[in-house]
Amino acid sequence: MEHEATQLEKQHVHSVYESTASYFNDLQSKAWPRVRQFLLEQKPGSLIADIGCGTGKYLAVNSQVYNLGCDYCGPLVEISKKKDCEVLVCDNLNLPFRDQCFNTIISIGVIHHFSTKQRRIKAIKEMARVLMPGGQMMIYVWAMEQKNRRFEKQDVFVPWNRALCSRPFSESNQTGDKNELNAKNQDIHLQQFTGSECAYAVNPKLDFDSKHSHSTDHCLPGTCCMKMSEEENRFYRALGRSFRLWFFSRSLDESALRKQPEKVKQEKNIGRWTNSAISIQPSRHCSLDLGHPGPLLKERSLDDDEVFLESVSLGKAQWMAASNATRDLSGEQDIQSKHEETSSLSGLMEDKDCSCTCKKDEGDKSPASKLFKRTSTTDSTDSILDAAVTVGDQTTGTLDTKAFMRYYHVFREGELCCLVEENVHELQILSSCYDHGNWCIIAEKLGKSLQTEQHKNFKVA
Amino acid sequence: MKLLTHNLLTSHVRGLRPGGGYPLGIQATEVKLSPVDFNAQFVARMVPKVQWAALLQAAQSLGHGSDLPPEPAPGYESDEDFLRRLHHVLLEVEVVEGILRCPDSGHEFPITKGIPNMLLAEEET
Repeated sequence: MEHEATQLEKQHVHSVYESTASYFNDLQSKAWPRVRQFLLEQKPGSLIADIGCGTGKYLAVNSQVYNLGCDYCGPLVEISKKKDCEVLVCDNLNLPFRDQCFNTIISIGVIHHFSTKQRRIKAIKEMARVLMPGGQMMIYVWAMEQKNRRFEKQDVFVPWNRALCSRPFSESNQTGDKNELNAKNQDIHLQQFTGSECAYAVNPKLDFDSKHSHSTDHCLPGTCCMKMSEEENRFYRALGRSFRLWFFSRSLDESALRKQPEKVKQEKNIGRWTNSAISIQPSRHCSLDLGHPGPLLKERSLDDDEVFLESVSLGKAQWMAASNATRDLSGEQDIQSKHEETSSLSGLMEDKDCSCTCKKDEGDKSPASKLFKRTSTTDSTDSILDAAVTVGDQTTGTLDTKAFMRYYHVFREGELCCLVEENVHELQILSSCYDHGNWCIIAEKLGKSLQTEQHKNFKVA
Repeated sequence: MKLLTHNLLTSHVRGLRPGGGYPLGIQATEVKLSPVDFNAQFVARMVPKVQWAALLQAAQSLGHGSDLPPEPAPGYESDEDFLRRLHHVLLEVEVVEGILRCPDSGHEFPITKGIPNMLLAEEET
């Protein structure tokens, strides 16, 4: 499975970031406040690593510390370097640092790109390895539970589409003026969130044709409660259709469980998955008709655990058949129970039953269900949809014909905590919270530091 | 790549004996000097965190070996001359183009435009 995992990540994480790096404009993407605060609280003279630094927006927050950024993506690191940051290219799973050399580590929007639980654990363990005892680590991952909606499944492919890029809302924009926002509608040059901020991960069940345009949940920051123009309504509808084009996948962990009759087809499947990014099983059933968004949604809600399609421009309906081989494998099981089975498997894989002892921050204790009732004006990762309105008149015709699909494993509430508590015993979770559509934890490295004497005796070759 | 960064880097090629990947040898084809504001306290705090022998070796390979003593002397925290020289070596000397070589395996990691690339092929990890 390791090979499939690396292939999946190569195609749906690394190459997407490489190809889209030039569209990133760091001036526009702002640091999450909590992360900034965490960095600013670090002792002067600390050595801080940003693992998965992207364009380096956190590397210049605190000038009293030594900031070292690293990322798998060369082009992103080059952008960082242009801003005079100290950066390097490396793999989170094999960090090229000696043990216990950093005082502090941040991992913002990174772990959710690993396609198996084992790899996510390994990534966290590697970071713990290079952290000094007593040092702290902050991890942000995309949450399954978003502001008003949630992902249907945890393993998702999110299309990156240049036309859907938009300026993320910095805090200042929340009180910004409407005129400025409207002016942006004409802005052709679009910017893009990095990493997990890229929130076109919209629940396809969300119906953009409804009258929600006047609900505060979908108000644009800075234009709260403004009435939407007909143009914007049209755009939302178009966007809505395009957002239905992104998909869910069975996770690699789940696939590993369904080995039996698949063994024979294993080789072919892997090739198919990695090459075409379509179905991982031989395609058997539903071909989803692009021309009819209505039925598409309905169908999806039935077998979303098995549907995984490639997205192209709306102009050309190049839908490929989704697969549902597991249905065939299990024979007579109907769709409904298949769904349940998959869910329970997900539960198994994700340690649903673990008892987490991690504390949560005072203000953010709300369980996911309560979050849905919040009408917070702070932007969440899914406000990219709102932000996308600045695309303005862009019609569907201007969407790229190729949408890069980025893989994410979105985390349920408590999942990250459990992952660490059960598998990374050298870390102790200090706090956890929900922030801007992400689950966040701060953990401390336990243990004793390496003796200085050992290093003095070290013979230099 | 600054020498402070270099001091943290190790090779992680598969099969190395413990410590066999450190420190990386530097072979630089382009080095630049970038002024950085001097902060005595900051530099003093770096001293316990660096591997001194590795730093010396790195500095020597770039022609700055004579700037540093064989070991930090007691009371270094208030020795401004020492701190300034250390500041220079750690933070102002940058390798722009070159190679980092794993001592045990000989594996070479390139440095391009000041960015070390520490990725290994799948089979090497």
